[in-house]
Amino acid sequence: MNRTVDCITAGELAALGKDRIPEEFQSSRHLIYSSPATLAFNSPGAQGFGVKRAGLAVPGSVMLLVAPGCCGRNTAALNALGYRERFFYLLMDDTDIVTGRHLNKISQAVREVVDSLKEKPTVVMICITCVDALLGTDMERVCRKASEAAGVPVRPCYMYALTREGRMPPMVHVRKTIYELLEKRPRKRTAVNLLGEFSPFMEDMELYDILRGLGVKNIREISRCRDFEEYLSMAEANFNIVLNPECRPAAEDIRRRLGIPSIELTRLYQIDKIQHQYELLGGALGTKIDDQVWYQSAREKVDNFGKNYPNTRFAVGEWLNGNAFELSLALLRYGHQVTEIYGTITPEQFVYIRKIAEISPDTRIYSNLSPTMLNYDCSVSAADVTIGQDAAFYHPGCPNVPWNQEEQPFGYAGLGHLFEALFAAREGEKSERISATCGDERGERVPASCDREKSGGISAASGNGSGEMISAARKDEKNKAVPTALESETQGEKITGGSV
Amino acid sequence: MKGLLKYLSPFAPDQSGAASVLYDMGGLTIICDAGGCTGNICGFDEPRWFLRKSAIFSAGLRDMDAILGRDDRMVEKIQDAAKKLDADFAALIGTPVPAVIATDFKALSRMAEKRCHLPVLTIECTGTRLYDEGEADTWLGLFQKFAGMEPDAAADKVKPAEEKSSVVSGSEKRADSDKTGTRVSEGMSESEMYGKGAVGVIGMTPLNLSRIDADQIIRDELKAQGFGPVYCYGMRDGLETIKKAGETVLNLVVSPSGLPAARYLEKRFGTSYRMEYPFLGEELKKELHAADGKKILVIHQQAAANAIRAELRKTSGAEITVGTWFLLDEEFREPQDVHLTTEENFARLVTEGQYDVIVGDRMLERVLRNYEGRWMHVPHFAVSGELEETPEELSSCATGNSVL
Repeated sequence: MNRTVDCITAGELAALGKDRIPEEFQSSRHLIYSSPATLAFNSPGAQGFGVKRAGLAVPGSVMLLVAPGCCGRNTAALNALGYRERFFYLLMDDTDIVTGRHLNKISQAVREVVDSLKEKPTVVMICITCVDALLGTDMERVCRKASEAAGVPVRPCYMYALTREGRMPPMVHVRKTIYELLEKRPRKRTAVNLLGEFSPFMEDMELYDILRGLGVKNIREISRCRDFEEYLSMAEANFNIVLNPECRPAAEDIRRRLGIPSIELTRLYQIDKIQHQYELLGGALGTKIDDQVWYQSAREKVDNFGKNYPNTRFAVGEWLNGNAFELSLALLRYGHQVTEIYGTITPEQFVYIRKIAEISPDTRIYSNLSPTMLNYDCSVSAADVTIGQDAAFYHPGCPNVPWNQEEQPFGYAGLGHLFEALFAAREGEKSERISATCGDERGERVPASCDREKSGGISAASGNGSGEMISAARKDEKNKAVPTALESETQGEKITGGSV
Repeated sequence: MKGLLKYLSPFAPDQSGAASVLYDMGGLTIICDAGGCTGNICGFDEPRWFLRKSAIFSAGLRDMDAILGRDDRMVEKIQDAAKKLDADFAALIGTPVPAVIATDFKALSRMAEKRCHLPVLTIECTGTRLYDEGEADTWLGLFQKFAGMEPDAAADKVKPAEEKSSVVSGSEKRADSDKTGTRVSEGMSESEMYGKGAVGVIGMTPLNLSRIDADQIIRDELKAQGFGPVYCYGMRDGLETIKKAGETVLNLVVSPSGLPAARYLEKRFGTSYRMEYPFLGEELKKELHAADGKKILVIHQQAAANAIRAELRKTSGAEITVGTWFLLDEEFREPQDVHLTTEENFARLVTEGQYDVIVGDRMLERVLRNYEGRWMHVPHFAVSGELEETPEELSSCATGNSVL
């Protein structure tokens, strides 16, 4: 009986090097296993933000999905999040997908949608899918025609899953699309945009205070724009800060069209690297950033966890707000263990993998996408805490911090909150153990198994609730469309854009 | 406008129906897509996916695979997975991508069978049709390919029972429980061991029944009637029961999607069939008996809608019409029954028909902005993604599905 699971240690992987990644870990070389741990990869829109939800980031927009019915099926899940009145569908039939005759219906459909609404939308996003990718549809032309017919701006959103590993994957493209309605305005020295995510960053993120300290009065994020006018005022920014590499092409497009330069910062969990990144940011802005207060606060939380739970064993997934490998390296550097990483191995990750191998060569690395993950034995858990929704799937009885909330973590604030969540998870486990000792059945440890029918649920994983997820998977893949001016190989810090 | 949905979301597509039938069959299910279809199928249309494993995969097609028609690469991937997972068969499910590039599924099946030494079933879904059509093609394909086959003879590589693959089929999981502890004596067929004989149930998917535990209900019901064993094809009963389909004395069809297969089995084995839907709960029945209207419209899949109509007629003399967005079989329809195709067509039916009561999934009510009659909610998972009852294990899973 074959029950092998493809797995490699960090030491073995580092020895092979980034040019010799084994085929079992190259997603293009095998079938993609579909489990709850891969949902964010296969269908980012199933939870968190996919192209459809992201395309509606522009205030007052609506979306017409032009596709076979299957492409819009899961959109109903967004109804509960307040999108019920914003999605419309033009369903293709068999003849459409062969002849492309659906393109002649789009203008009329847009008109009917606009006419059915009480308020005229600010823009109608037309979302198209693999069918039009293969038909080679000129959506710019189709949208121009529809815009003339309906009297509102119409823009294309490309949900081309077929191109997910190409130069412009769908989630990169949509990040560009949502800023395309910005038109040139006089720039204001006191305005800055934060680009990259579709939901706001944590309220106490130090970057807000740092920018305010530098005299910035208006810090704008698309997710915080209350109306279309506020969205349009993003064109006044003196510079953009890119906080997700998938937004590089958007920033470059804004620079080209509106003359707004950008700086890129990376989400990190290694405290010294966060500090170093702020030093670089200060350098780029021609000032010195005093981040001691926030540094100390985060440091205390990291140390407090380490003092109470030294040498904690972690299993880290990739379905979280962060890079699984960078986060694992951070945990190792804080003195803990990382027994397992569920991540997508790409050459870019070797910056971290090499360092992980130095500290913990036996850390096992798995690919969520490997067909052999069907054989993964959940009954042997070597972790005290798991981080990421996917890691929770593999260790259903283990305390879990999903860390995939919509409110985006960044910098010291993100690090501090992560360790608070980890502390709470371990405290929760401790109290459960005490309860169990006292005969409280709530403390009964759930048998570890991926089979929920056997294990009795993933109580630890459910703490975050549904819908509070962001696809962090594959964020750093092959997205090199925009050259980086100041790219450091050391721990992935990037400050780009130069003069601001 | 035909095809334009202003109030509804799309219903479950054919590929979800096909995958649902195969979920507990114990084979490798490969969805020929780029990933999004698989995410939709598993993350939204398959509630069992959060509860138990199934060998379900995306082919992970990329633009150049589609443009160059690299079927050989897909076959290599299947071969690799088959080696590592010991499956008894593989099933390839179409999506819009192979539909656009006109993939030759027959050739693909032959290539894969030759290379992987596995029986390969292909279901040519396009993503443009509805779930029940995908289900119908899959049931039929399964029975045509495997019914009457010797047990354990599906794959070239015959495996001892205890070495059954890690690809777990439902029937393996519930092996003994269905036999109530009795072992089949040598030389006797299972059906001879049980009173009236074996019964097959076709159409058992959560999409049809809005339940994931429906097999238990029907097993209990049929056993109480003296039948046994009960083969709930596709719901905890896997390929081994499909092979034994010729042994059944009756096929019970719980959705019109099972009718083509039932008719095929009748022709091949002489097994009679009937369409029934024994899943209406006592509470719903009470509510139906209390319905007072002169004109009632029942909207669901045809087997469920017919059962609701029959229940209503026990206490009401109302004029009852069945409307369905899905398959409407001539053999089981009444003259007034209608097939619904567009939002406008549905709204017009209700306005012109002046129905006092509508029984159906409440998501449909969105189309009828000014409807003043009574709406009795009966969920249909293929419409709204809502289950009749959400098991505790499911509600604790964080998922994107509206049922949760």
